[in-house]
Amino acid sequence: MNVSNRKIIRRLSIASFKAAKIRNIITVAAIALTTILFTVLFTVGMSIKHGFEQSNFRQVGGYSHGGFKYLTKDQFEELKDDPLIKEYGKRIFCGMPEKEPFHKSHVEVSYCDENTAKWMFLEPIEGRLPKEGTGEAATDLRVLSLLGVEPVIGNKFTMTFLVDGEETTETFTLCGYWDYDDITVANHVLLPESRTQEIFEKLGTQGEDGMTSFRNLNVMFKNASNIEENMNTILERHGYQSEGLDQGDNYIRTGVNWGYMSAQFEDSLDISTVLALAAVMLLIIFTGYLIIYNIFQISVSNDVRFYGLLKTIGTTGRQIKRIISMQAFLLSALGIPIGLVLGYGVGVLMTGIVVSRLDGIELTYSVSPVIFLGASLFSLVTVWLSCRKPRKMAAKISPVEAVRYTENSVKRMPKRRRSLSESEIPQKGASILRMAMANLGRNKSKTVITVISMSFAVVILNITFILANGFDMDKYLNRVVADFIIAQAPYFQASTFDKTGILPEEVVSQIEALDGVKGGRTYQKTFDAQEFVSEEWVRKQNGKYGSAEQVDGYVEMLEKVGDMRADRVQLYGMEDFVLDKLPVIEGDLSKLKEGGNYVAAVYSDDDYGNLHEDSHWAKLGDKITIRYVKEYEYFNPETGEIYGEDEDLSESNKPYRTRAKIYEDKAYEVAALVTVPGKISYRYYGADEFVMGADTFKRDSGTSDILYYAFDCEDDKVAQVEQWMQDFAGGDDSMYDYESRKSEEEEFYGFRNMFVMVGSGAALIVGMVGILNFLNAILTGIMARKREFAGLQSVGMTGKQLNQMLITEGMVFAGSSVVITLILTLVMGPLASDVLEGMFWFFSYHLTVTPILVVAPVFLAIGAVIPLFSYHYVAKRSVVERLREAE
Amino acid sequence: MAILSTKDLKKVYGSGENEVHALAGVNFQVEKGEFVAIVGTSGSGKSTLLHMLGGLDRPTSGGVTVDGKEIFTLKDEALTIFRRRKIGFVFQNYNLVPVLNVYENILLPVQLDGGSPDQTYIKDIINTLGLSSKLGNLPNNLSGGQQQRVAIARALASKPAIILADEPTGNLDSKTSQDVLSLLKVTGQKFSQTIVMITHNEAIAQMADRVIRIEDGKITG
Repeated sequence: MNVSNRKIIRRLSIASFKAAKIRNIITVAAIALTTILFTVLFTVGMSIKHGFEQSNFRQVGGYSHGGFKYLTKDQFEELKDDPLIKEYGKRIFCGMPEKEPFHKSHVEVSYCDENTAKWMFLEPIEGRLPKEGTGEAATDLRVLSLLGVEPVIGNKFTMTFLVDGEETTETFTLCGYWDYDDITVANHVLLPESRTQEIFEKLGTQGEDGMTSFRNLNVMFKNASNIEENMNTILERHGYQSEGLDQGDNYIRTGVNWGYMSAQFEDSLDISTVLALAAVMLLIIFTGYLIIYNIFQISVSNDVRFYGLLKTIGTTGRQIKRIISMQAFLLSALGIPIGLVLGYGVGVLMTGIVVSRLDGIELTYSVSPVIFLGASLFSLVTVWLSCRKPRKMAAKISPVEAVRYTENSVKRMPKRRRSLSESEIPQKGASILRMAMANLGRNKSKTVITVISMSFAVVILNITFILANGFDMDKYLNRVVADFIIAQAPYFQASTFDKTGILPEEVVSQIEALDGVKGGRTYQKTFDAQEFVSEEWVRKQNGKYGSAEQVDGYVEMLEKVGDMRADRVQLYGMEDFVLDKLPVIEGDLSKLKEGGNYVAAVYSDDDYGNLHEDSHWAKLGDKITIRYVKEYEYFNPETGEIYGEDEDLSESNKPYRTRAKIYEDKAYEVAALVTVPGKISYRYYGADEFVMGADTFKRDSGTSDILYYAFDCEDDKVAQVEQWMQDFAGGDDSMYDYESRKSEEEEFYGFRNMFVMVGSGAALIVGMVGILNFLNAILTGIMARKREFAGLQSVGMTGKQLNQMLITEGMVFAGSSVVITLILTLVMGPLASDVLEGMFWFFSYHLTVTPILVVAPVFLAIGAVIPLFSYHYVAKRSVVERLREAE
Repeated sequence: MAILSTKDLKKVYGSGENEVHALAGVNFQVEKGEFVAIVGTSGSGKSTLLHMLGGLDRPTSGGVTVDGKEIFTLKDEALTIFRRRKIGFVFQNYNLVPVLNVYENILLPVQLDGGSPDQTYIKDIINTLGLSSKLGNLPNNLSGGQQQRVAIARALASKPAIILADEPTGNLDSKTSQDVLSLLKVTGQKFSQTIVMITHNEAIAQMADRVIRIEDGKITG
């Protein structure tokens, strides 16, 4: 095709584009709405992904891609300029304080250059990083508060810390500080490099521990894929390896940031997420398709004459297709930017709502270009898909049609109408309803698509309503076993695995002293207790979590006692109050309360209360032995040699096994089989579990570490106690946290509101699309029939009758959508109920059509009002004027 | 040498008892530079004939040769391109593109073909048809006669082999009809165009060099 004819095609499409103002406004709105839907989806998705990564990075303590560890000065200089490395940072570890006030904290004293500090989130909110050659240091607010130093720049502080085993006391001048982040494990004190060197010189530090005084090279690559591969490539290039010391002296330890690894892991493996996303995308494309297709379809069929005429003059089908494509592109260029801006705003709101319901994900708003590129791309694809058929239709228009038809009219009439004999001629003639129905039949695809498009929003609204209505608070609160439960904060955090925090007895006694409170402690023991189980059982239990080789390795490491293996076991010591909350499967718990040598075996069940029959090996009446280990020893499984306590087995590569050296075996009888409700369990799966009475537990285990204290409260004291708990443990700075019936209720409503917000948001936008579609269908229908109406009026149809006909048309549209939605809901409802009850354990399905019935009058009103107004606009001009009007 | 000829041209609409022979074997030739009028009553098949001559519709059997080319051997796209190069149309209802101004309408076929217009030639046509003061107007602002003159200019613009005019004066009063027709004839001679005009009006037909009559889908004289 010639290039030079593009100009006239452009001219033609722009000219006819300008002539179709109403269509353009509606299309731009439709494209903008579609783009809004995509942008919201992308914004929420990308923000969650970003937030997820950020939380990981904070747990890891940084977001550099990886690091080469413990390098000499020469190695550092050699590696840092490798072309694979985009940016690098330097860190020199200096020491760690261990004495008061830091005995419970992990604090690292080191030098970090600007990059490293930034990548480790060590960015001063006040002041700056230390300057070389000064006595400055920067640290976080927690270290300062532990030291009892006011966070004022210029204040001096003194710390005693161990440098490669040597103790030193140093005084620094505070030059900057930042907030302490409780997700990050470590606190940091940053010194200038010069100061670290002074300390090393003063103490004669050689780096015996393999860490102190060496350099860490933290690196950023071009992107986060293949981090490990890149690091190994760099090492190879310079003649190093990261396999292990036993592979040669050229060993350099490397670390890959698992924050990126797990993010990628999530991306690539979570098929259900991908499927769900794809489904939502398809839904949006479909929504957009329904309206944009309809608009173009209507527009083309109204312009049949125009396209036919162009054809007669010699415009080819391909040129006509280009005219339409160009218009679609112009409309997208207007609609998409509007949609992106509005969509991002809505997306930010939605992200806030969704993220607040997700555990362990930081609330961040992604500004990734992927959001805007992705949303634009998908919107364009939607527009392109929507225009395909109308384009083809326009290109196929026969020139003869254009010459022949002076009026946009029906393509295909019924082949033959039976001629009526005189007696058969209906008395009433054409009724308004019949005419309206016939009119809707003129462009069947327009009618059908408009109706579907309108129904769509109501279906979404109704599903949202069914969902929100079906979330059953009673079911949800069933799992709450006590009015209150208090423990160390990490116990309640889903994202933390270290739940061994101990609740001090003083806290419990304070609570017990409150008026109207009755509760019980649960003591914990998760290590240094063993059970004796068959290899087969160990394999079965661990086979779910690892490969066959891993399980073999695990079994091998366990001490063999007779034909059994000694495996770790988790024990609960529960006071009567808590014991009473346990659902008993078999046997009874009274023997546990009396304090004899009895235990209950803990079985598990799922959210729906279905017992996992094989989740524990112990049966009622079994005699079992628990071994309490005081000390272990390491030995060589091949030679039997027992290793000394000082030997570092992880470095020497010698084979080793562990076994109990000093221990006590206690025999118990299984008096009951129980489940421990999630809210009062360890809240993670670790090992087989047994429950004991509190006294037996304390006597045998020798520990009295409290896991949590659970209690009920007299009804009239609840508010008072809730307030007390809020003050005591509710603050962000408290080490403790608590859950109450009230906080559970709030969680429930929060969860439900998330669905209501997201669902009604979607219904609102899709609803606007539907109504827009309807508006377009009605408007274009009236505009195209201007002359026809004038004709009808000239032969005696009154304006009132004409209005009646148009309103009837609108009502039929609206009414059909309501009927279709009702049918869909009634048919799909039972199907959806199974799916939903499978997804949410606290869901009870109730069929409801209330939203449809509420929306129905609104729809019918719209169905009546839009035609009325549109016609009013047309009727401004006289019948004669309209009859004369040339096309 | 004949610039346009038909060979046993037939067009049948419907089938079985509803079969209608719109054209029942039409044979005639038009020489280069001739002004021929085809006359027939309503339903005689003259419009169908014009559609066939212009390649707007395909015959049931038979063929049409324009400028030595058997046009129905061409595929749709190729036929469209052939049409815009070789055939100029003038319709009863003008069929101007409402969103383009007069000048753009005239140039449309040439530009669709990707060619650059012969400016002197176009200017000549515009002057001959008296349109020079109307070039920027949109078709809706013109009288019927003016619109038809634009249509004639458009038909001439691509220097076609033949101009097909379908009741070109059907929508015009008799005075304007005379004017338009004279212009059509004059420009035809001036630019040595072959013109085939369809009409039901004997008086108008008499302005042509030759009159072909058609009735019930057959040439009668």
